[in-house]
Amino acid sequence: MTPGWLLLFALAALVAAVGFGPRFPRVWLALTLAGTTAGLGAALAILAGGADWEWRSGLSLGGESLHLRLDGVSALFMVVLCVVGGAGAMYAREYWSDRDYPDSAPRGRAWWSGLLSSMGLVLTASNGLHFLIAWELFTICGYFLITLDRQHREVRAAGWLYLAASHAGTLCLFAFFALLAARTGSWDLGPMREDARLAPLFWLALFGFGIKAGFFPLHIWLPSAHANAPSHVSAIMSGVAIKMGLYGIVRFSGWLPLPAAAGWVVIGLGAVSALLGIAFALAQNDFKRLLAYCSVENMGVILIGVGAALLAVSHGDAAWGRLAMAGALLHVWNHAAFKSLLFFGAGAVLHATGTREMSRLGGLWRAMPWTAGLFALGAIAVSGLPPLNGFVSEWLVYLGLFDAVTGRGPSAWAAMPAAIMLAMAGAMAMASFAKAGAMIFLGAPRTQVVAHAHECGGWMRGPMLALAGLCGLIGLAPFLFWPAISRAVEGWHPAWASAEAPAPLATLGLAQVTLAVLFVAAAAWLWRKAHAGGLRRGPTWDCGYAMPTARMQYTSASFSGMASGWFRWILQPELRMRKPHGSFPGESLRLERIPETVLEHVIRPVSEVIMRVSASVRRLQHGRLQFYILYVVAGLIAMGMVTLWGGAQ
Amino acid sequence: MMLIPGFILRLAVWLLLAPLLPGIINKVKAWVAGRRGPPVFQLYYDLAKLWRKGVVLSELASPGFIAGPAVAWVALVMAAMLMPLGPAGSAFGFRGDVLLLIYLLALARFCTAWAAMETGSAFEGMGSAREVSYAVLAEAAMIAAMLSLSVQTGSVSLTMMLSPTAGASAALLAAGLFTVLLAENCRVPFDDPNTHLELTMIHEAMILDHSGPPLAAILHGASVKLLLFTLLLVQAVLPMGELSPLAGAGALAAGVLIVTAGVGLVESLLARLAFRHVPLLLTTAFLLCLFALLVAWKGGAK
Repeated sequence: MTPGWLLLFALAALVAAVGFGPRFPRVWLALTLAGTTAGLGAALAILAGGADWEWRSGLSLGGESLHLRLDGVSALFMVVLCVVGGAGAMYAREYWSDRDYPDSAPRGRAWWSGLLSSMGLVLTASNGLHFLIAWELFTICGYFLITLDRQHREVRAAGWLYLAASHAGTLCLFAFFALLAARTGSWDLGPMREDARLAPLFWLALFGFGIKAGFFPLHIWLPSAHANAPSHVSAIMSGVAIKMGLYGIVRFSGWLPLPAAAGWVVIGLGAVSALLGIAFALAQNDFKRLLAYCSVENMGVILIGVGAALLAVSHGDAAWGRLAMAGALLHVWNHAAFKSLLFFGAGAVLHATGTREMSRLGGLWRAMPWTAGLFALGAIAVSGLPPLNGFVSEWLVYLGLFDAVTGRGPSAWAAMPAAIMLAMAGAMAMASFAKAGAMIFLGAPRTQVVAHAHECGGWMRGPMLALAGLCGLIGLAPFLFWPAISRAVEGWHPAWASAEAPAPLATLGLAQVTLAVLFVAAAAWLWRKAHAGGLRRGPTWDCGYAMPTARMQYTSASFSGMASGWFRWILQPELRMRKPHGSFPGESLRLERIPETVLEHVIRPVSEVIMRVSASVRRLQHGRLQFYILYVVAGLIAMGMVTLWGGAQ
Repeated sequence: MMLIPGFILRLAVWLLLAPLLPGIINKVKAWVAGRRGPPVFQLYYDLAKLWRKGVVLSELASPGFIAGPAVAWVALVMAAMLMPLGPAGSAFGFRGDVLLLIYLLALARFCTAWAAMETGSAFEGMGSAREVSYAVLAEAAMIAAMLSLSVQTGSVSLTMMLSPTAGASAALLAAGLFTVLLAENCRVPFDDPNTHLELTMIHEAMILDHSGPPLAAILHGASVKLLLFTLLLVQAVLPMGELSPLAGAGALAAGVLIVTAGVGLVESLLARLAFRHVPLLLTTAFLLCLFALLVAWKGGAK
């Protein structure tokens, strides 16, 4: 079957799933899985070397004829959409079941399929108007999914913030597509690099898509939305929805002529997002907020690669630009795989304990061994450590940056700080996930909530295992994925088409496989050796202190205290402290809250000023007729004066 | 197939020689203090003893408590395999292997920190929190150092990068990498391997609850890491490429001895820093590597 028919089938299945979703969960699951499989098939057919699929129809919608397209770039994002969409649908069957949520689960299924189909339309739409329609549908579906659990005040607040921020972005996109249509004379989208007048429009696209992509400082909506949404929704928001913003940036940076500063700005934004995103992540006590901020970091990593590629385009250095872009695009896949895995794991913990506070958890590995193991795997992957997939894509980005430095061109001045900041972000990601994994799963249970914890069932574990397998596969056999990535790079910049891998991916794959085998072998050997020599269990030694309690353990805030202290200037932690006093001290406490600095210290004060100004303007409207007549008379006189004096020339 | 025997020989050299370094350091310290000190082979005896011992596990520990040290040990040994040995080259090199080396060290750190957190002890929490926090600055310094070597040699594979012609940046790089070496291997002035106050330690605080073979794996891994950093420092600074093979091997051995003795001297003559000053020293190391990078950049294209 051709990609076109597969896509049509996928769309039909997903639209039917929207209809069947509320009443028939089994039919819905079957349809959603069929739709995502078909979509995946179409995308893989393109990435495996098939020709781009393009379809112009006589049908018109809103006065514009339909024009759909699936090329390397959009197929790459389509893969992510289908994989996470299908896995999330399976996961939701147990996680957000009709039994636990009789009210919102049926709604959730319909919106889920709606979200998948609208994101599919965003990826295929090749007409500005239709792109905007699909974009808006996708935003709305996202809103209703985030607010599934809308009894809670903070969920509604998070949804509202998401909606407001998304529409600020959509506003820019309206301007962007309208100006594009006005300057080219058509709403049709496609490569238009020759028309230099279009270059400034790139900034509009960067801002409009950037809000959805959630890089620093446009990420304000992201942490609360991802933390408060149900976990399968967090997974698709983090794994796929923010990638739609990135898709926009990649797509239009490939199609539009670029302003001279584009590469510098994008790589700078990427480096700042990577470092500050992970600094915020490290300081969090809520594990879903930690994962959300980590998405900001990963978007930063991807943007570093994209920015380096943009620099390479404007300076004509194909070799390292291709490496950086390939790394960035592979990281799109990798981030979707490990972040969905981590959010699924977080959902399992939340399901079992009902809390997102790491300081109330601990010791969960005993009750949830599968979740603990899979979360640990995801943690290694997200920290970019070998032998998993996160390392491969970061390695490609690093290699691009190193080559840019050794090339000694002007781009080296961007590549050097970017590489150093990427290294720091990597080390802090490791710290964040050592902390998250340790606080949730290791040590002694800190509170009673852990006592009733239970392992998740097969419908939740299956998708997690599949995603973990994907993390392993990309890590161990990266060369298998190179043709697909190379196809996408070619779709982005046709001049960079190349068959052979410019980096020794096969050698890296060999090294990674060797490492993985040795890790397993050494762990098994040491395990047997430890048991052979007589293994005894005892209390934690704790330097001879005989009565350690769970409350003496290091907490999440104390673990990250030192490193997040270095970022105090941006984190602006709010401290509430009551110190113990006197010989018989009463209750004392120390509470620390990390605010969303950009939102609470920049956006909120500004909007308060705007609200105050608006409130004072509103006083003009008081309902007294005689004053309204006075306004009209005054207005008339003013206009009369303007025409009298202004029209004299 | 000359590859396999060569690989095994190299592995044997690394595994057998690495525990010598802590012995030499201790001898130097004893000599400065006017004591006789423990024998140079003390670590070998300790390892042999630990390997035969049984294991006491904390009741809270998961299988990760034993898997962690095993994975960390393999990661360190494989990182060592990537490191070229002067005229002998490296066992397994490819373009971009320098990044694999840095990230293998990071993986070892992750595993040690993870295993430390298994026990739910506040001391071990403290140790691993410090370890992962200082790593942020240490890794920045490492990447800056590697970038400067890359700029100097125009290459991103270790074999090429570590045979530079003597560059103007060598002195800066030596100072920077030596500081990173001290930090990464938890030596004075960052950490005191001899202290008995758990509150003041990093590495030792993390492994308080380990015993028997897992502790042996950790200690041996730490010695491999020390040798790795010593070799990195020596080869980054000495113009190995310009020496004949024999002279190269001699220079390498002499360099390792000098650096090891240097670590011992630092340990004898300096006190451990207060913890709040450690980030400052690490930032200094980062700046030294950064200046080395800028000097290498200015040093002219190759």
